[in-house]
Amino acid sequence: MIPDIDDHIRHSTRHIGRSVPRREDRGPLTGRGRYVADIKLPGMLEVCIVRSTEAHARITEIDTSQAEALDGVVAVYTGADLADVSTFPDYIAYIGAVRQRPLATDRVRYVGAPYAAVVAVDRYVAEDGAALVAAGTIYEPLPTVADLAQALAPGAPKLFDDWDSNVSVDVAPHKPEVDRAFEEADHTFTDTYWSQRQTGLPMETRGVVAEVTDGTLTVWSSTQSPHMVRTAIALMLGVPEPQVRVIHPVVGGGFGTKTHTYPEDIVVPWIARRLGCAARWIEDRAENLVASAHAREQRHDVEVAYDDDGAIGAIRCTSTLDMGSGEIFMPGTAPVFVTNACITGGYDFPNMQARTVGVVTNKTPAGAYRGFGIPEGAFVMERIIDRVARLTGTDRVALRRRMLLRPGQTPHVMHGGGRLDSGSHTESFERALETTAPALERARTRHADDSDVRVGVGYCNYVEPTSPSYHLTTGQWGGHDSATVRVDPDGSVRVAAGLSAMGQGNETTAAQLAADALGVSPEQVTVVLGDTERAPYGLGSWGSRGAMMLTGSVLMASERLLDKARRIAAHLLEASPGDIVVSDGAFHVAGSPQPSVSWADVGTTAWVRTVDLPDDIEAGLETSAFYHPEHLTHQLDEDGKINAAASWSNGTHIAVVSVRVSTGEVRIEDFIVVHDCGTVINPALVEGQVHGGVVQGIAGAMYEHFQYDSDTAQPRFSSFMDYLVPTCAEAPPIDVDHIESPAPDQPLGVKGCGEGGTVGPPAAVAGAVSDALSEWGVDLTECPVTPVAVRAAIRAAEAAGRGPGATR
Amino acid sequence: MKPAPFEYCRPSSVSEAVDALAAAESGRVLAGGQSLIPAMNFRLTDVSVLVDIRDVAGLDRVTVEPGGVTVGAAATQSRVLADDGAAAVVPGLRVALRHVGHLQIRNRGTVCGSIAHADPAAELPALAVAVDATISVEGPDGGRNIAARDFLLGPFWTALDDAEVVTEVCFPAAPEGAVTVVDEISRRAGDFAVTGLVAIIEPVDAVVRSARLVGFGVGGAPMRLTEAEAALSGWAGHHTDSAVLEAAAADAADAFEDIHATAEYRREVLGALVVRAARKALNSGASP
Repeated sequence: MIPDIDDHIRHSTRHIGRSVPRREDRGPLTGRGRYVADIKLPGMLEVCIVRSTEAHARITEIDTSQAEALDGVVAVYTGADLADVSTFPDYIAYIGAVRQRPLATDRVRYVGAPYAAVVAVDRYVAEDGAALVAAGTIYEPLPTVADLAQALAPGAPKLFDDWDSNVSVDVAPHKPEVDRAFEEADHTFTDTYWSQRQTGLPMETRGVVAEVTDGTLTVWSSTQSPHMVRTAIALMLGVPEPQVRVIHPVVGGGFGTKTHTYPEDIVVPWIARRLGCAARWIEDRAENLVASAHAREQRHDVEVAYDDDGAIGAIRCTSTLDMGSGEIFMPGTAPVFVTNACITGGYDFPNMQARTVGVVTNKTPAGAYRGFGIPEGAFVMERIIDRVARLTGTDRVALRRRMLLRPGQTPHVMHGGGRLDSGSHTESFERALETTAPALERARTRHADDSDVRVGVGYCNYVEPTSPSYHLTTGQWGGHDSATVRVDPDGSVRVAAGLSAMGQGNETTAAQLAADALGVSPEQVTVVLGDTERAPYGLGSWGSRGAMMLTGSVLMASERLLDKARRIAAHLLEASPGDIVVSDGAFHVAGSPQPSVSWADVGTTAWVRTVDLPDDIEAGLETSAFYHPEHLTHQLDEDGKINAAASWSNGTHIAVVSVRVSTGEVRIEDFIVVHDCGTVINPALVEGQVHGGVVQGIAGAMYEHFQYDSDTAQPRFSSFMDYLVPTCAEAPPIDVDHIESPAPDQPLGVKGCGEGGTVGPPAAVAGAVSDALSEWGVDLTECPVTPVAVRAAIRAAEAAGRGPGATR
Repeated sequence: MKPAPFEYCRPSSVSEAVDALAAAESGRVLAGGQSLIPAMNFRLTDVSVLVDIRDVAGLDRVTVEPGGVTVGAAATQSRVLADDGAAAVVPGLRVALRHVGHLQIRNRGTVCGSIAHADPAAELPALAVAVDATISVEGPDGGRNIAARDFLLGPFWTALDDAEVVTEVCFPAAPEGAVTVVDEISRRAGDFAVTGLVAIIEPVDAVVRSARLVGFGVGGAPMRLTEAEAALSGWAGHHTDSAVLEAAAADAADAFEDIHATAEYRREVLGALVVRAARKALNSGASP
């Protein structure tokens, strides 16, 4: 909490809360954005990573001689060459240690696992060399496990010989009160819900450029967390950390996949040091599909206790995450913990017991992806509510109304320990319902004459943890972030923050915050992000933390700076610091605008004409702050609970769909969003986050499914011909409305909004399609809802004698 | 995603192109490159010489005559799509091309290239079979004309010999009064079809007099749906769908299964597309 500056800003706000135009778009939109792939260094060599074509195998021989003999190939390295590089740390004690090496040495556990690197004069030759290395590789295939069932079967082949099984983590609190609730309930049902494997797919793939100059290893990486990459490089290569500089230039999206520190972040700098010249690796699209983190593949075994009137008494849920090979840093286990923490959402019911399991398989390692376990949990909850409503003949909307938290019921601690600090759970649902009624009517009218079409509506009320702890995820880092604010002699403001930016608009946000805090215009503020030499140590951008962490750190640093600036101004004006106010870029005594001194006067005095400073004020006008949010905790308490997020946004998503019965085609007629992320700093940025998030959520609801062959654990495709990413042509009309429930304990009441958009679509679309097909009793338990899945559900119903066309 | 080394040549005549192909260990013709170049970048196809025919004079010509439309090998899909005369004589060209890729793809992709590529889920090969198009090719031994149904042999497999190049495809005019429908189930706008149908239907007094039906994305090559054609003959909108659905499913008995759909799905939606096309034809009475 920073009450002084909060107060100051509340009384002088001119930019916070407005759609200040984005400052970061000119470069990318005019083709002048400098991405990692645009960095050209003298003598720079190109690296191609050689990846396993086997899902599970020992590598018995890698003959690199043919590749090395190829004209234009400079060097070929295998895991054995990197013996001086340490493994990625296994910081989390309660999950299975994987001891991941940057290049596999003797065993590969998924298709795409890196095991060699070819360095050549260009990418074409490097790929020719990689093909020769691949041809010279002898595998001894091992039996594969392609899914959870195979991995958990008795006697299943193990990925890690020193593990007891393929289970990396299994946390199962026992709650006797849940047992009692099941004994006392009128009814129970059990079912299994699924969330399918996807990947984040930033428009810009990953990339790393490295060079050593004058004793400094400089690394450009398309990462979301440059400081964490720096720490990992220093640790693993054994280089003093001050001699490593990591820069993330313009980054074209991350969506969580770039929060990880990947093998290439280590291998490319190692090559640059080894060869003494610049090296670069740019991930290509095909690589990206298997070499960057996957996510979302979870199974949920659910037991629900409910009464005749639809009241849910208790839920037991075992959430099992398919971790892929688990060879990823940071580990990919955290999303399934978030799933269990968020299943309840804004719904209040008496008892819940969640078991959290992570299992390794021979697939690309699972990790972070926008939503980070939240959509999976919301899907389970909403499908359960629809089921209970149907089983008890209760209205779906009425049942939700009964369960949702009402005004005045926050703060509310969920069953997993998450503390909903504020929110508009009932209000957002009601407001979304108001918008839905005419949308539903329109859809029904539109299709009234077509007997092949059914219309349905589906609901999702969700919560979104924002500014989370990184400790549960990494086992190491916490939850702070940082900013340094400086005013130069000319009065210009410079903000450098530990946050990064991948397109969200964090630079614009930082400028708005600093402008209002210091009484200047955003144009006077220069923002520096994503460079470890120029910005203080921060954790980067992920977990919907940009807005809150920037607010906290920029305002804290600005307050300290303003305090010093006031004292300098007071000295120049021969007044008392307590009487000095700043507005429109000038300091004066409150109530009398003249005489005044400008930020340039103060800056010049602080840095240049230091002879004018009073004796008790040091030269310079620069302050730093490290902000850690209130209420954010990092360790489980004795009951196994944790509030691992600083604040909780919430919202409602409602899908109105039409379904063509004969072909199974689904069309989202309208998608309604009511979104509450606390105080909004820039409405246009928030709206953009919601729109993009919803379309990514629709990707999971209807399109994307990363499939593997169940016999061989080979990916079933390698391009966008088959991995179906929705485009603007598939985006439905999205209606966005905002409610602002300020975070009571955070500066300015700011929460976060990066992920909420992804959360609702799977639940809302599955609910809407099930509703549309209620004549058949269809109750979808997984996504994507494809035409094939819809037809299969109709066929199954008709075979069981349900539906208008069924023969009884 | 960089191709293996290859040679590139840009002949100025068909005979030079044929010579280049004949001399190549593994030559391929480049026209629009919308399928070939990605395949090369993925190193899925082995190409020693790429023969770019876009400089061959006259190959981009589109000739519209009352009896049909002749499309040269270098004519882009956008060019044909925009041709009102072609659309008047062979309505199927326009309705099929609307389903092909996106604007950027059609600006480079060629009509003949799509047919020569023979993707089993592509619209243009199915149209060619449906209208009895003729594919003209030139080779070391001279030229020959091949009926589309004999040209398209299987997935990415045609009757074209190694050193032959497609020079043009002639699409005969649609019968007077016929309605051409190209409809498909595709997962996203511009995707190849999961299952698709080209239907040329002649309605008379709200009854189907005759129908010519070709399914695509069902088998290895465009598939004439003879049973469905028979079932549709004499069909009217108030008749039940079931006979048509069953006939189409029988035509598609050997439908394939892939990542996008089961064989069962393909069989049943093919029938749904036939019914949809018939209703559309009966309702419109004129070309859409």
